[in-house]
Amino acid sequence: MTLVLQAVVNGLEMGLVYALVAVGLAIIWGLMEMINFAHGELLMLGMFGAWWFSTTLHLDPLLAIPPVALVMFGVGRLIYTLLMRRVQRGETFAQIFATIGLFFFLQNSAVAAFTSDYRFVEGGLLSRLSGINLHLAGLSVGLPLLIAGALALVLFLALYLLVERTEFGLALQATSEDREAAMLVGIRPQRMFAVAWGLGAALVAVAGAILANFFAAYPQVGFPFTVLAYAIVALGGFGSILGTLLAALLVGVVQSVTVVYLPPAFKDAFVFASYLLIGLLRPQGLFGKF
Amino acid sequence: MTALLEVDGCTKRFGGLVANHDVTLAIEPGEIVGLIGPNGAGKTTLFNCISGRLHADEGRIRFAGADITRLGADRICHLGVARTWQIVRAFGRMTVLDNVMCGAFGRTNRTSEARVRARRLLDFTGLAGHEPVLAANLTLADKKRLEIARALATQPRLLLLDEAMSGLTPLETAAAVDLVRRIHAELGLAICVVEHVMEVVMPLSHRVVVLDHGEKIAEGEPRDIVRNELVIRAYLGDRYGAGR
Amino acid sequence: MPALALAAAALIALALPIPLQVAGYSYFVTVAFLVILNAMLGVGWNVIGGWAGQFDFGPNVFFAVGAYVAALLAVHLALSPWLGLVAGVGAAVVICAVLTWPITQLRGHYFAIATVAIWMIAQPIGATWELINGSRGLFLPLRPATGPLDAVVSLRFPGRSKALAFYYVILVLFAVTLVLLRMVDRSKLGFYFRAIRDDQEGAEGIGIDSRLYKVIARSITAAVFAAAGVVYAFWALAVFPEQVLDLNWSTFPMMATVVGGIGSLWGPVVGAVLLIPISQLMGATLGAGPLAGRGIDLVVYGVIIMLVAALRPNGLLSLPWRAWGRRLVGRRR
Ligand SMILES: Nc1ncnc2c1ncn2[C@@H]1O[C@H](COP(=O)(O)OP(=O)(O)OP(=O)(O)O)[C@@H](O)[C@H]1O
Ligand SMILES: [Mg+2]
Repeated sequence: MTLVLQAVVNGLEMGLVYALVAVGLAIIWGLMEMINFAHGELLMLGMFGAWWFSTTLHLDPLLAIPPVALVMFGVGRLIYTLLMRRVQRGETFAQIFATIGLFFFLQNSAVAAFTSDYRFVEGGLLSRLSGINLHLAGLSVGLPLLIAGALALVLFLALYLLVERTEFGLALQATSEDREAAMLVGIRPQRMFAVAWGLGAALVAVAGAILANFFAAYPQVGFPFTVLAYAIVALGGFGSILGTLLAALLVGVVQSVTVVYLPPAFKDAFVFASYLLIGLLRPQGLFGKF
Repeated sequence: MTALLEVDGCTKRFGGLVANHDVTLAIEPGEIVGLIGPNGAGKTTLFNCISGRLHADEGRIRFAGADITRLGADRICHLGVARTWQIVRAFGRMTVLDNVMCGAFGRTNRTSEARVRARRLLDFTGLAGHEPVLAANLTLADKKRLEIARALATQPRLLLLDEAMSGLTPLETAAAVDLVRRIHAELGLAICVVEHVMEVVMPLSHRVVVLDHGEKIAEGEPRDIVRNELVIRAYLGDRYGAGR
Repeated sequence: MPALALAAAALIALALPIPLQVAGYSYFVTVAFLVILNAMLGVGWNVIGGWAGQFDFGPNVFFAVGAYVAALLAVHLALSPWLGLVAGVGAAVVICAVLTWPITQLRGHYFAIATVAIWMIAQPIGATWELINGSRGLFLPLRPATGPLDAVVSLRFPGRSKALAFYYVILVLFAVTLVLLRMVDRSKLGFYFRAIRDDQEGAEGIGIDSRLYKVIARSITAAVFAAAGVVYAFWALAVFPEQVLDLNWSTFPMMATVVGGIGSLWGPVVGAVLLIPISQLMGATLGAGPLAGRGIDLVVYGVIIMLVAALRPNGLLSLPWRAWGRRLVGRRR
C-alpha cells in the first residue's frame, strides 16, 4: 500500500513537469488547433541547450532556463512565419506533413551536431541534491524532483495567468474561438499564431531544460514526450489550461502506479488506456467544456 | 386518422436555458405548417429534436405512428423526415450532383440509379446545369436549393425547411417560394417551414404555429395569427398587426 | 487520370525493374518494391484519411496484425502465404471493426489520439506476448522452394530473383487494391465517406449512419495495411514487434498521400513515387561516406518535405497538370 502511495507521490512530481511539457502544446494544438508533430524535438533542443550551457559555460543548468526560453521563443515564431503560416492555407493534414518534415530536420540536425550519444548534465544544483529525500508520513519525496516540479508549477501558473488574465491572453482566446470576429475587433490572427508558437516552443524547451537534470539528452529523446503531450492535452479537454495541469498529474500518477505492477513497457500503454476509457465516458475530455 | 408527425410535450434544455418548453404540435399529411417566432424562440431546436440531431429531454415525438424520440438522425431520415439547415450544410468539396446522389443513396445502393434520381431532382429544383460545380462555390440561394434537392432525394414524407429563404434577394425568395409550392403540389409532401419573413410564410402556410421563449403561444390559420394579441406583442410588432 | 498517363505508368511499373535486375542493381529493385508497398499503404490510408476525412495515426497496427497472423499460420500450420493473406486481412478487418466502433463516438482530434492510443497499447503487447514470441520476434521457416510453382505459392524465391519476384507480388496486390478501391470510390460507400468528411451532421441528416461508415472506411484501410503486412513478413522472413509497429508505416503513407494530393485515388501513388526514392537516394548518397550516421540525408529530407508543404499545401496533384499537358501537346503539334 505504501508502495502505491509512494508511486502516487512520485507520479505527482513527474506530472508537474509533464504539465510544462504539455502546456505549450495546449496552446499550439488545443487553442490554435494547429498540429505539431515535432513538439518533442523542441523539448530535445531545450535539453541540449541546458547541456551545452552547463558543459561549455560551466554554469548550473537551471540558469539555462531564461536563455533557452528566449531563444526558443524566437525559434517557435520562426517556425510559424517561415513554415506554418504557409501550410495553414492548405488541408489540416498538410500541417502533419510539414511538421513531420520539421521533426526529421530538427532531430537529425541534432544528430549531425551532437551525434546520437547520450549526454548527461553534471554538477548542477539538482544533481548535487540527488539522494536527499524529504520524509513525510512514511513517504519519501526526492528533493530534486520536488524542486523541478515546483519550478514547473510556477512557470505553469505564470502562463495560466498570462492566458486567462491579461489582454494578450484574451486576444489569444478570441483568435482561437473565432478568427473573423477577432479580426473585426482589431486582433491580427497571424501575430497571435506566431506568438502562440513562440510561447509553445519556449515552454516545452524550458521543460526540456528542467528534464535535462534527470534524463540523458540525445536526439531521439523527444518523440515519447510528443505522444504523451498529445494524450495530456486531449485528456485535459483541448485548450483548457487548468485541465492540462490536472491531466498531466493524472498521467504522471498512472505511469508510476503502472510500473509498480507491470513491466515499464506498459506505463505509456496504461496512460493511453485511461485516455480511451475516459474518452468513451466523457467524449469532451476530462475537464473540457462543451 | 392520426397525424403524420405528433410532437407531444417536447422539452429541451441547454444547461439552465429552456429552449423548448412543453411544445405540442401535429402535422397532417400534405399540410404546409409555418413555424414562426422571434430570434432564439427555439424553432431550430424543435427541428433538431424532430430530426434526431438532438434528443428531447421530456415529451414524445411520433412520426407515422412510430416513436422517434430517441432515434438517431439517420434512422429518422430513413423513416421519412428530411430537413434543411439554417446554416447551410452542403458537402462543400463534392459536386452538386454528388451532393444530391448522397441523398438518393438512402433509397438505393446502385450508383446509376442514384444518379438518375439526382438529375431528376436537380431539374425539379432548377439546378440543372450546375452538376459539376463544387457545392462550396455555389451562391447562397443555390446552396439552399441544393439542400432542398438533397433532402428530397431521400424521398421524405415530411420536409422541414429551416429558414430556406432567409438571406435571399426578393427575386430568389420568390423562386424559393415557388419551389416550396411545387414540392407541395407535385410531390405531395407535408412541409414545415421556419421563416422570419412574414410576407412569405403567411401566404404559404395552411396553418401557423408560434413559438416564443421556447413555448407555443399560438396556433391557427394565418389570418387569425396576425390578429392574435399575444403574437403581435411577442413577435410581429405593431407594424404588421396594426396594418391590418 | 487520363488513360494515356495511366497506360504509361502501368507500362513503366511493369517493365522498369527488368533492366535494373539484368544490370545487377537489385538494390534499386528493392527500392521499387518499397515504393509500391508505400503507394499501396497510401491509397489504403487515403480511404479513412482522405475520403472519410478522419485523422488516423495508427493504421500500422493492422500492418502488424497482417504480418503476425500470416507468420503465425506459416510457423504453426505451414499455411501458404496466400491463405495467410486471406486470414490476415480477415483478422485485421474484424479487429479493426471491434476497436474502431467505440472510438467513432470521438470526433476530430480526440479520434486521432484514440488511434494513437491503440497503437501505444499494441506496442507493449507485441513486445511481451508469448504467443508471438514477444520482442524476440517470429521467424518464418526457411525451406527452399521445390520449383517455380512452389516458389509462387509459398513466396520463397531463391537469392537474386527475390527482389524482382517480390516486386511483382506487391505490384499485383497493389493493382488489385487500386481496382477494388476505385469501385469503392464510385459506389455508395465512396459517396458516404466524403459526405461524412465534408459535414458529419449534414450526412446524418440525409440518413447516413456516420459511425457505421467510419468503421467501414477504417476497416478498408486496415485490410489494405494487413495485406501489405503479410507480404512484408514473407519478404523480411521475420516479424519483430518494433519493426511492424514502427510509426513510419503510418507516417510514410500519410506523407505520400499529402504530397500527392489527399482525397484523390492517385495522390498517394504520386507521393510514394516521389518520396520513397528521394529518401532512399539520400540515404545511399548523403548517408554514406565520411558523414555516415550523422543524419545529413534526413536533414535534407526534412527540408524537402517542409518546402513541399510550404509551397504546395494541397499536394502536387493540385498543380495545373491538365493545362500544362495541354500546352505541351499543343506546342508539339
Ligand atoms: N447547442 C446549443 N447549446 C446551447 N444553447 C443552445 C444550443 N442551441 C440553441 N441554443 C439556445 O437555445 C435557444 C433557442 O435557439 P434556437 O436556435 O432553437 O432558436 P431559433 O428560434 O431557431 O432562433 P433563430 O431565429 O435565431 O434561428 C437560444 O437561446 C440558443 O442560444
Ligand atoms: Mg433557428
